[in-house]
Amino acid sequence: MAGRRALSLAAMSRLSWRYLWRNYRRTSIMLLAIGVGVWAMIFMTALMRGMVDQMIADGIDALPGLVQVHHPAFRDDPSIENSIPPPGPQLLAALGSPPVEAWTGRVKVPAMISSERNTRGVTLLGVDPAGEIALGFDPASVVEGRFLEGPRDPGLVVGRKLLERLETDLGKRVVIMSQDPDNNVADRGFRIVGVFEAKLSGHEERQAYAGLATVQELLGMGDQISEIAVTGGDYRDVTALHARVREPAGPQLEVLPWTELDRYLGLMLGVMDGFVLVWVIVIFLALSFGLANTLMMAVFERVREIGLMQALGMNPSAILYQVLLESLMLLILGLLLGNLLAIASIQPIRNGIDLSVVAEGFEMMGVSSVLYPALKMQDLVLANVVVIILGILTSLLPAWRASQYRPVEAIARN
Amino acid sequence: MTLTLRMAWRNIWRHSRRTWLTATAMIFSNVLLVFMIALQFGSYDMMIDNTLKLFSGHLQVQAEGYQDNPKLRSSIADVRSLAAELRTALPEARVAPRAAGFALVSSEDRTFGIEVVGVEPASEPGVSTIPGMVTAGRYLEEADSAAIVIGAAMARNLKVGTGDELTLLGSGRDGSFAAGIVTVVGTFDSGSSDMDRALAEVPLPWFQDTFAMRGHGNSIAVAVDQLGAVADARAAAATVINDRDDLVVLDWNALHPGLRQAIQADLSSAWFMYGVLIILVGFSVLNTQLMSVLERTREFGVITALGVRPRRLASLVMQETALMALVGMAVGLFLGWLVTLYFHVHGFSYPGMEELAERFNLPGEMYPSITFGTMILGPGVVFLFCLLAAVYPALRLFRLHPVDAMRTV
Amino acid sequence: MPNILCNDLCKTYRQGDAVIKALDHVTLEIEPGDFICLSGPSGSGKTTLLNMIGGLDELDRGEISIDGQRVDQLSKGPLADLRLHHIGFVFQAYNLIPVLSARENVEFVMQVQGVPARERRRKSMAILKEVGLDGLEDRRPAQLSGGQQQRVAVARAIVSQPKLVLADEPTANLDSVSATHLMELFRELNQNHGVTFLISTHDERVMRYARRLIRMQDGKVISDEIQKSV
Ligand SMILES: Nc1ncnc2c1ncn2[C@@H]1O[C@H](COP(=O)(O)OP(=O)(O)OP(=O)(O)O)[C@@H](O)[C@H]1O
Ligand SMILES: [Mg+2]
Repeated sequence: MAGRRALSLAAMSRLSWRYLWRNYRRTSIMLLAIGVGVWAMIFMTALMRGMVDQMIADGIDALPGLVQVHHPAFRDDPSIENSIPPPGPQLLAALGSPPVEAWTGRVKVPAMISSERNTRGVTLLGVDPAGEIALGFDPASVVEGRFLEGPRDPGLVVGRKLLERLETDLGKRVVIMSQDPDNNVADRGFRIVGVFEAKLSGHEERQAYAGLATVQELLGMGDQISEIAVTGGDYRDVTALHARVREPAGPQLEVLPWTELDRYLGLMLGVMDGFVLVWVIVIFLALSFGLANTLMMAVFERVREIGLMQALGMNPSAILYQVLLESLMLLILGLLLGNLLAIASIQPIRNGIDLSVVAEGFEMMGVSSVLYPALKMQDLVLANVVVIILGILTSLLPAWRASQYRPVEAIARN
Repeated sequence: MTLTLRMAWRNIWRHSRRTWLTATAMIFSNVLLVFMIALQFGSYDMMIDNTLKLFSGHLQVQAEGYQDNPKLRSSIADVRSLAAELRTALPEARVAPRAAGFALVSSEDRTFGIEVVGVEPASEPGVSTIPGMVTAGRYLEEADSAAIVIGAAMARNLKVGTGDELTLLGSGRDGSFAAGIVTVVGTFDSGSSDMDRALAEVPLPWFQDTFAMRGHGNSIAVAVDQLGAVADARAAAATVINDRDDLVVLDWNALHPGLRQAIQADLSSAWFMYGVLIILVGFSVLNTQLMSVLERTREFGVITALGVRPRRLASLVMQETALMALVGMAVGLFLGWLVTLYFHVHGFSYPGMEELAERFNLPGEMYPSITFGTMILGPGVVFLFCLLAAVYPALRLFRLHPVDAMRTV
Repeated sequence: MPNILCNDLCKTYRQGDAVIKALDHVTLEIEPGDFICLSGPSGSGKTTLLNMIGGLDELDRGEISIDGQRVDQLSKGPLADLRLHHIGFVFQAYNLIPVLSARENVEFVMQVQGVPARERRRKSMAILKEVGLDGLEDRRPAQLSGGQQQRVAVARAIVSQPKLVLADEPTANLDSVSATHLMELFRELNQNHGVTFLISTHDERVMRYARRLIRMQDGKVISDEIQKSV
């Protein structure tokens, strides 16, 4: 087909590039719009991801663990009656091998705590401090006094809020009352040896840590425990860990991953993925009208030239490709701008933004008040891919129209 | 219609495709904004309402410091007569005095700590929905003495039902040992697992006797019919307690500081998203109007040469923008209203929402609130931003040089 | 009645390296009620001179006054008012507002002047009839021929009886009957209403109507004579 040869890619790119900048104002405005849109996609996603990550991490630390083992009735009725024996040899073997990284057995019972001036309801935790730290308890969060030193430690570590509510102090004595397996009230005096601060004030107000053996002895429960908390691997994928623990635990124990233990947290993960996709698409749609408009204008104002090119022997499909190429260039430049803007705006707040003005509101959602944006590769790719693919789809119509002008018609038109 | 307005109208349809594309960007944002804002405010209202109606009421009179550190000793002397005074001062509102403390509750098999609230059986249903949520047995009655209503989960954990006896142990207001035996007359299912697990209600006189309150109480809950009436009620209540400076009136903001902040946190992220949408629409308008001004340079040159001042041309461009934005607003508002209406009738839900919503005392389906305010807010702001976006193209006309303008092609 | 004085007008345009003297020391006096034709080869500076007198462009040098009022020193606003109320323009090409009908185009200037609607309508219908466009009042410019468009522009220029009409080739697209008709109209306005006309043209038919004929070349006035034939 002599004379109807398509242009070389280089020549076509040059042509598209020139056309792109022929109306530099229009192109710049559109670039700015794409840039702002892409920036908003990525920036907002990073903030929300950061928030949810934080929320999940805090939630998992508070549980604690990625997987927990309980008596099947314990979660509905967290009573001493629903306690379990310490792990048997089979379970112990499983807990000692990968993917398990750490585990701990704890007693967790409702109790009343009384100071000289006040009485509060709390969750009494009998813990092995080493295991607790391995599961995510941060010893640095003990801001006064010390953390427990061993399972036999006779002291008590309480949250700062609880300390205030009880109107007592470090070093003072408090009485803890709880039910023993025979439904007698067991009580015992404890000296407060440490005060911790927690990200979530609910924990600061409702939790008290004592030595595992001390609590077992107080409640006369032998070596029974309430739960086994296990951690290991990435929180996004706990199936392997869950399976590893569930089999040897046997059917008489309930073994659940964190997504089941805290349904709210588990759902957040899925809802977040949905949100990112919806947000990216909404922003793209808002952009798409401007994009289509820009291309329409660009095609419209050069109808005569298109006619001329066709008259000179340019293939209609070459015109289609030329317009698409122009749009692709616009999209890529806009994406470049948007990604740079996003990275530049996330970089300075990498170490967290303090949102304590609305701290109690975030607390209600289960979020602590310092927000760390999380820029994820997967989100970055999603935003860019959506813009390119949908952008090209949007440009198809103007490009196709441009290729459909008949030479005479196009030249005659003015 | 003035000639300028007519010109403006015809001008925008000179490039009908371009105008429609620009208007569609507005319509898209407007529909989204109308629906989202209605949904948001609908859910805020519901969140506030459900939270307040469940137990706390819209206002409370408390002893100073009780809110931060609730303890039996921070109390209101002669709580029932103060409640009666409040009732006279606030004839529209419902008033219920309460006393509350921690106690260890024991059944035959179980013992744990709970919150016991002493209530007036007759006035409690006016401020709290718990009396209406009794699923087994009945709520407290005026004649009851050593009777108790407990959460369903608590009953399950205590392994008791109606008619069973419970022992309460605690300390009285004076620090003395307090103990009593009560009979379970009913259990409630409030939907809030915290309350169902740890809240129990007993008659106020019995509570006062058992915990050595000597006529004292800890709070007086006040409920009004609408959130809007809270400020007035608060002022009226403040006058009643004027002579007692150990007391304070707290409105729902102070009672649930997290509630307002959760709304604010949600609003600020929502405003960011809406802001981006609106700015993108603004860019669309800027592009369209700048192009439309530039391509008419010649025409505008002729008009200025006739002796028309640039101000008039700028106003023409602004009127064109306003008309285009009006089209976008009218269509967007209408479609947005249709969408909102649909969900207003059928409820809006997405997978997993039920569990998420429970955390905020919300039902699994949400109903957007259709008011003039929530409808017009988004489109109104979009309209303003469209006009704002046209300012630059309009200002360019002041720099127009007639001879050069007429020479451009 | 305007008395227009142009003294030593110079205007050069720069196009790349080339410097074009569009007006080269032009001095000219126009008396009230005059009827002047400006002729000369293409590019000789006719349009530039009309633009200058109408205050559309800035001089490099020289001064223009209308009735003692220095046009070259007026700021933009008063200049606009001067054009609006005292000068009628007919441009060489592209005269009309595309979205307005013929009648609305004629009414446009009057509306800006603040003429009441009824009077606007009466005057515009009358003038369109005068220029031979009755029946075409509601057509848009795109639906009119070049000559018809030109006549709408003329109607717009003279409708509010300005003191001065600056017309740049008003007959360029007209057949000889219409052209003659138009010139008769101009003459009538000139004689009965004292409107001053300054018309640039290549058209011999037009020049015949002129009382005074000015020839330009390369930005200079090369001849300026009173015609006796009229
Ligand atoms: N804005 C401008 N920029 C550059 N050159 C200009 C400009 N305006 C006019 N000129 C030049 O000045 C000269 C005079 O132009 P002008 O339009 O006055 O000529 P004219 O006599 O009206 O010609 P015609 O009969 O073709 O209309 C021409 O050479 C023209 O190219
Ligand atoms: Mg000319």
